[in-house]
Amino acid sequence: MINPLLLGTIFVPLLCAAFGLLIGRFRTLQHLLIFGGGVVAWVCSVLLLIANFESGVQIYRVGGWEPPFGIVLVADKLSSVFAVMATTVVAAGLLYALGCKDKCVTYPAFMPLFLCMGVGLNGALYTGDIFTLFVFIELMVISSVFLVAISDNRLGLEAAIKYLFISAMGTLFLLIAIGSIYATFGTLTIADIAQKLATGERPLLAEAAAVMLMCAFLLKSAVFPFHFWQPDFHTTAPTPVHSVLSSVVVKVGIYGLIRMITVMFTQEAATIENILVILGVIGIFFGSLGALRTYDAKRMLAYSTFGQIGFILVAIGWGTPAALVGALVYAVNHSFIKSALLMLTGVVSSRTYGKTATKREIGGVGKGMVLTSILYLLGGMALAGIPPLNGFISKVALVQGGIDAQGWLALGLAVAAGLITLQYMIGTWSLLFQQAPDEGVKAKPTGDAQYAPALLIGLCVLFGIYAAPLVEVVTRTVTDLGDPSLYIRAVLGG
Amino acid sequence: MNILFAIATGIMFGLGVYQLLRRDLIKASFGFYILFTAINLFLLAAGAFEGTVPAYVDAQNEVISGGTPSDPLVQALILTAIVISFGTYALLLSFIVLASRRFKTVDSDEIDDLIG
Repeated sequence: MINPLLLGTIFVPLLCAAFGLLIGRFRTLQHLLIFGGGVVAWVCSVLLLIANFESGVQIYRVGGWEPPFGIVLVADKLSSVFAVMATTVVAAGLLYALGCKDKCVTYPAFMPLFLCMGVGLNGALYTGDIFTLFVFIELMVISSVFLVAISDNRLGLEAAIKYLFISAMGTLFLLIAIGSIYATFGTLTIADIAQKLATGERPLLAEAAAVMLMCAFLLKSAVFPFHFWQPDFHTTAPTPVHSVLSSVVVKVGIYGLIRMITVMFTQEAATIENILVILGVIGIFFGSLGALRTYDAKRMLAYSTFGQIGFILVAIGWGTPAALVGALVYAVNHSFIKSALLMLTGVVSSRTYGKTATKREIGGVGKGMVLTSILYLLGGMALAGIPPLNGFISKVALVQGGIDAQGWLALGLAVAAGLITLQYMIGTWSLLFQQAPDEGVKAKPTGDAQYAPALLIGLCVLFGIYAAPLVEVVTRTVTDLGDPSLYIRAVLGG
Repeated sequence: MNILFAIATGIMFGLGVYQLLRRDLIKASFGFYILFTAINLFLLAAGAFEGTVPAYVDAQNEVISGGTPSDPLVQALILTAIVISFGTYALLLSFIVLASRRFKTVDSDEIDDLIG
């Protein structure tokens, strides 16, 4: 099915960003325009997900060229689920930025760059061509580096330099993979590559390309050997940007890995999955223990993202359909919980005079903020997986996947590490909202607006009480993933 | 020709990685650019065929100037990669300028406010 709505998720927001730069002088107008762009992308991605269930995979041929020669945008169920999640969080981030009191939000380039990051994210999820994937990932990286460098936190510049060097490595891996694939198969369209790989032949550079692609995706998701940039880069970002970076931007790598093992390198899937389980368990423990011992409330959530990505990787690594359902449910729920928690921490830290979240300065600042306190407690319980919140649903789906795949060792470790989550979330909650402030710590009377985190926590509660639609959508997604020829036929026709 | 490409790409990768690991941030950013040039050479070598004439066709899809045309796709890829790496490089240099003003040094060991 040709569906021009795909343009609405990428080109409409891009136009809004470009036009927003021109009217940078009229700040309110610009902010509303950019927010509108984010909402349009969200509406289009939801409509695409619905269209997927009605008439199968949606594609759009850019410029009218037939694949495999032209660039094609593909919205199958996997991309659509990830994109709905991404656009929801990006729209919530834009909403938070509208009511944010940081100085960097008033710069004329802030909102257009924010939207560009969202466009890069959508593009990377929807593209059906690995070179376009590279272009969109670079768009995302460069805009996010800009946003971190102009952050109110003066350490942002240093983190941005660090990340630019490291992301250059990721780009290098991706470009080597692209070159190897082009030299081997003479094509860049994912469906065409998958078709040629399905014949079972493995020319010299095909497996090298698999390794390089995997390294690139692991680096984007900040998984164990490539993880060290993530806490610095995420913690120094402005709050709305941090809430998007730590929740959905790291999921691009997860999406890429799922795409790799289900569509492209199906024969190598077992090897890749074994590696992912090991990396995931390392990530769970490293992230949870790091979160327990850190000195900063935002940094704690950045570390906790390691741990949560670890859970998702372990579930992908188990490889059975039930485990994949667990991974996807976990990914979606984690995005909402994590971005809401980051925004709430940002609301509290916006009331400190130093605009920091170090535990020494933020302790007790939230005392008296009843709504924020309740929302934060709900978010923390969701992250730890306590019913009736959505985190519980994702933990149940994960455990079912583990039992189905008989991965007892990894399952035991994952459940044990889940308890650490509870400890650090409750500890931070009581530090922020219960404890009396330290000597000399004063709070500003007002902070950032909290509509966006309230909305996201509302989604968390909704998906906790009424989880059937999400699980149903994800289950049908995984059923479709079991048959890669659906994707290939939809793109190439015939 | 292939041997030449392989040797050139290898040497440039070696130079780039060595340079990227230097402590001086400006030297490291040179490494960044050398690595991207190495990648561009690699992409060029990945092209399907070596041509002697440009890849132009007329209305009847006949090659205009006779001879084997070169693979146009890798050239398009390289152009895109050049634009992106150039933009990233400019951004990186501007960040280094800002950091050198703030820290009065470009030694990456001394730019270390972010710890823990």
